[in-house]
Amino acid sequence: MPELTNRFTSRRGLLFGTAAVSAGALLAGCTSNESDDEPAANDQPAAEDKPGKEVTIGFAGPQADHGWLNAINDNAKSRAKKYSDVTLEITEGSNDTAQQIGQIETLINKKVDVLVVLPADGKALTQVGLKAMRAGIPVVNLDRIFNTPQAYRCWIGGDNYGMGLNAGHYIGEKLKGKANARVIELAGLDNLELTKQRTQGFDDALKNYPNIKKVARQAAEFTVESGQAKMAQLLQAQSKFDALWNHDDDQGVGALRAIEQAGRDDFLMVGGAGALSAFQAIKQDNGVLKATVLYPPTMAASAIDLARALGQGKGVSGMAEFEIPASLTLYSAVVDKDNVDTYMSTGFK
Amino acid sequence: MTQHVSPPRDGTDKTAPVGQPPSWRGMLVRADVRTLSLLGVLAVLILIGGITKPDEFLDTRNLQLVLTQASVIGVVTVGMTFVITSGGIDLSVGAIVALSSVWATTVATQEYGFGGILFTAVLVGVGCGLVNGLLIAYGGMVPFIATLAMLASARGLALQITDGKTQIVTVEGVLDLGERDAYVLGIPPLVMVFAVVTIIGWLILNRTTFGRRTVAVGGNAEAARLAGIDVRRQRLYLYLLSGLCCGIAAFLLIILSGSGQNTNGNLYELDAIAAAIIGGTLLTGGRGTITGSVLGVLIFTTITNIFALNNLQSDVQQIAKGAIIVAAVLVQRRTASTT
Amino acid sequence: MAPEPPLLTMSGITKSFPGVRALDGVDLDVQAGEVHCLLGQNGAGKSTLIKVLSGAHQPDTGTIHWRGDPVTLRSPIAAMRLGIATIYQELDLVEHLSVAENVHLGHEPTTAGFVVRGKAARASTAQLLHRLGHPEIEPGCLVGELSAAQQQIVSMARALSHDVRLIVMDEPSAALDPDEVDNLFRIVGDLTADGVAVVYISHRLEEIRRIGDRVTVLKDGRAVAGGLPAKSTPTREVVALMTGRNVEYVFPGRPSRAATLEEPVLEVRGLAREGEFEPLDLQIRPGEIVGLAGLVGSGRSEILETIYGARKPSSGQVLVGGRALRPGSVRAAVRAGLGLAPEERKAQALLMLESVTRNVSVSSMSRFSRGGWIDRGVELEAARAATRELSLRPDNPSVPVRTLSGGNQQKAVLARWLLRGCRVLLLDEPTRGVDVGARAELYAVVRRLADEGLAVLLVSSEVPEVLGLADRVLVLREGQVVHTAPARELDEHRVLDLVMEGSPVASASPAAGEGSPAS
Repeated sequence: MPELTNRFTSRRGLLFGTAAVSAGALLAGCTSNESDDEPAANDQPAAEDKPGKEVTIGFAGPQADHGWLNAINDNAKSRAKKYSDVTLEITEGSNDTAQQIGQIETLINKKVDVLVVLPADGKALTQVGLKAMRAGIPVVNLDRIFNTPQAYRCWIGGDNYGMGLNAGHYIGEKLKGKANARVIELAGLDNLELTKQRTQGFDDALKNYPNIKKVARQAAEFTVESGQAKMAQLLQAQSKFDALWNHDDDQGVGALRAIEQAGRDDFLMVGGAGALSAFQAIKQDNGVLKATVLYPPTMAASAIDLARALGQGKGVSGMAEFEIPASLTLYSAVVDKDNVDTYMSTGFK
Repeated sequence: MTQHVSPPRDGTDKTAPVGQPPSWRGMLVRADVRTLSLLGVLAVLILIGGITKPDEFLDTRNLQLVLTQASVIGVVTVGMTFVITSGGIDLSVGAIVALSSVWATTVATQEYGFGGILFTAVLVGVGCGLVNGLLIAYGGMVPFIATLAMLASARGLALQITDGKTQIVTVEGVLDLGERDAYVLGIPPLVMVFAVVTIIGWLILNRTTFGRRTVAVGGNAEAARLAGIDVRRQRLYLYLLSGLCCGIAAFLLIILSGSGQNTNGNLYELDAIAAAIIGGTLLTGGRGTITGSVLGVLIFTTITNIFALNNLQSDVQQIAKGAIIVAAVLVQRRTASTT
Repeated sequence: MAPEPPLLTMSGITKSFPGVRALDGVDLDVQAGEVHCLLGQNGAGKSTLIKVLSGAHQPDTGTIHWRGDPVTLRSPIAAMRLGIATIYQELDLVEHLSVAENVHLGHEPTTAGFVVRGKAARASTAQLLHRLGHPEIEPGCLVGELSAAQQQIVSMARALSHDVRLIVMDEPSAALDPDEVDNLFRIVGDLTADGVAVVYISHRLEEIRRIGDRVTVLKDGRAVAGGLPAKSTPTREVVALMTGRNVEYVFPGRPSRAATLEEPVLEVRGLAREGEFEPLDLQIRPGEIVGLAGLVGSGRSEILETIYGARKPSSGQVLVGGRALRPGSVRAAVRAGLGLAPEERKAQALLMLESVTRNVSVSSMSRFSRGGWIDRGVELEAARAATRELSLRPDNPSVPVRTLSGGNQQKAVLARWLLRGCRVLLLDEPTRGVDVGARAELYAVVRRLADEGLAVLLVSSEVPEVLGLADRVLVLREGQVVHTAPARELDEHRVLDLVMEGSPVASASPAAGEGSPAS
């Protein structure tokens, strides 16, 4: 390629090259996110008992391309660190079912004592869960549930229906006594079942409040960009409403931006999941966001607790049974101004 | 070669005679049939919006909203139109927007303030475009593959930078540009940027040697080469241009959403390609229209707006979007072949 | 001819396209076992007529009788079922499939209706190729790897793989060398002996004389003469029917003044490309037309493209006005004043979606622009002046170039270089696809440009063209110049002798490409 070499040895080329390199160096410095970057994790005390038998826990989760999933990983890691008798084998997160199956099989072959699995796709990973159980490795299934209870020893996860239900009740109580109240819903990705469950719970709760009517619903995609776009449209469509239920705090960042841009503050907003930015806004109490219903990423820390208990053959302290339960559905607590300080440390970015 | 009486290839011609001397009035009279049919589609949509939701749809705020939402993808589409006109394709636009937007909103970048964010967004876009261009023009890679590779790497790098977290912008100067107070004569700054990019794009494509070379390379790369055009350098510049547009779009998106996230720009590549094709740019290259592309973007944004205002859900929206793509292309073909 | 009804009768066929009446009441009858030639200038309606005949177009009015029965040819498949096969000029083969797969495309021999019997297909293909005089083509070979001439044979084998009664050939000899043309004529003779009718389209009158039985002449969508005896009708009369004029090949006179006084503007020193052509020395002075004569595969086009920088030489130099060009750079060549009118006009020279103006101005854009900004008024006027000088029709440079006839498209390419102000014009097959009347005009244009001081290097597969137009002729054989002489000292036979003389490969094998290293 004579033309190429020629151009790049020319003086103009050199100048341009130098500029590009220095700009590159400047840019490279700009990728840093370090300054106040501490993993959001649970400060709840770890199980109080004394160190027991050494347990190796294998952990496989999806790619952390979303704040909540990133918090899941952080919670699992920091929890495991708190136990001197726990070794955590964590895999590179993957959204590819085949790759995740491979990773879990590797963990089985390594003969870890207990497996904690947050599948990229619960149904698709059922077989590998069964395989681990048959190999005598108890599986703690995190959040996205396998097809059959045979594939896990214990399932622990959030309550999507309960999120909607609690959000609906919170809004219902706030709007009590207000005639012809109007609410709108900014849902998450519509092709996910959990979105349908959250909507169902919300609708069921509202049935208890005949004065409230849901007048609009649009689905965003759990991203800031889609949250802003859909919320802007909703605000234009509904010149007057009293409350907004947003499924996800991440897209809520975009939704709040749209609300700010439209200059609207005549309603209350309830978020979902429990992001740090949402907690901070609730605490400041100078915007529309008044509460958020939890879908706590701390469940990963609990999963580690359960896995450790399974590995050491213990039950859950505070319960009468000798065995840990087969399934644990977490409560979707409503976090508002009154209790936000309690939850602040669990907020994820 | 045999006859020249074969029928005009349907859909691909019947544009007004090209290469006329400048005459604004003449241009209006000869306005392209294709453009007219796009305007027709848009008019029908406006009619539907106006009938179903007269108060919400026919409203200054809604016009501002539609144009603002069109700005980000619109700027990307202008760049994409150039690339497609040259016979190429850029699948990495969405990923470049994502990477630019997160790189420009890291804690470290935000310390440099407004200028730092703008500079980084644009430079990352141009840098990605440069890599695309070098791989395609001088590395001999097929555009589809080279930009697909860029799509994967840029998304990956964006994820690595953010760790999946949402990077909230705290620089007031940037945020303010998205507020109503920043509107000049009722025009949001984002829309102004979109308009300026569109006008400059139109002028470059239709009035400059750069535009001519782009069309020539897309129409017949071998003929362009034998006519003495530096085809490779032109290709390099085109992917640079597309990257630049992505950088600008990323900055607009940062203003709009007040944040940077690795999921930004999701499926922009498909939206931009669809808008350009609906607008009348040939996917095989050799003909491109900025006006058409921008109308394509406006049609899509208006559809989304009307659907949201009427509270139709995303399943219906997606079905209708597909149907409208097909309908718009069919309408154009029909009008183009009967005149 | 037997008194039975003709194999095919078309009567009163009309066909219109938006803005064009392509066929205006054409009659054509074809007897079994005859070679019926269709003659006409570009735009006369030949292609449309054969597309109607092959079922690709539906006529607006008119009737078609096949063996005396009225038929409607709704689709190419319907025509094929009757036994009508068409070999188009632009070959419709799938490059990535094998020869056998192409031959049997759409009617593969199968077991149980869907399992393709590859072996049977290859065997029957080999048989067909043998019958066509090309047993050396491998049925398993990919079509894309074959030469143009071989691809044409494959196309013919495909036609014959059906039970064919009438075969339409659209300029089959255009891409062939003389000996390949001989083979083609032998095939045509075999077919007609079997009672198959051939509709033969060609620009070359002498071919029609050799193999034709009857001639139908089309002009402006009408049959101006039907069923003329091919052998005995005087050429003058045929040309007059086609053009309305009494001209055959008319070459302009050579200038009396000698061009030797001026310094050569183009000088080629030892230019070579390994495997394509041997070191070549060449000088052309302003006002001189130099011709390169040789067979397909003799390296003619390769030499032209290497001089032009489109191919990189393995050794040697090109000098323009005494200054050496950067090897392998088209831009350097164009800047120095070289211009190429390539062999494949549509694929290599023209921007088919664009106007004549833009096609003409593409190489001189900097002249009409300031800071990249194009002054379209100046551009249009310059393009108009350049096209007028070459009397390009229509006299409106704003029309799309694709609506022009072959001859006028070639003029648009020449106008491009005229506008650029080039000093050396490289012409590769300048009259391919250009009809008889327009050829004479092109010859005159080229000579006039030379008289105005241009140096011209001409490549043509038509020996009379080289002899008639050039001042000096270089005869090429297998990439080597075997003879150089002033054109007036050579005649066609001498050139053909030189081209083939002493070359066992060329005389022993009729296959194109074989023996010559070029691909």
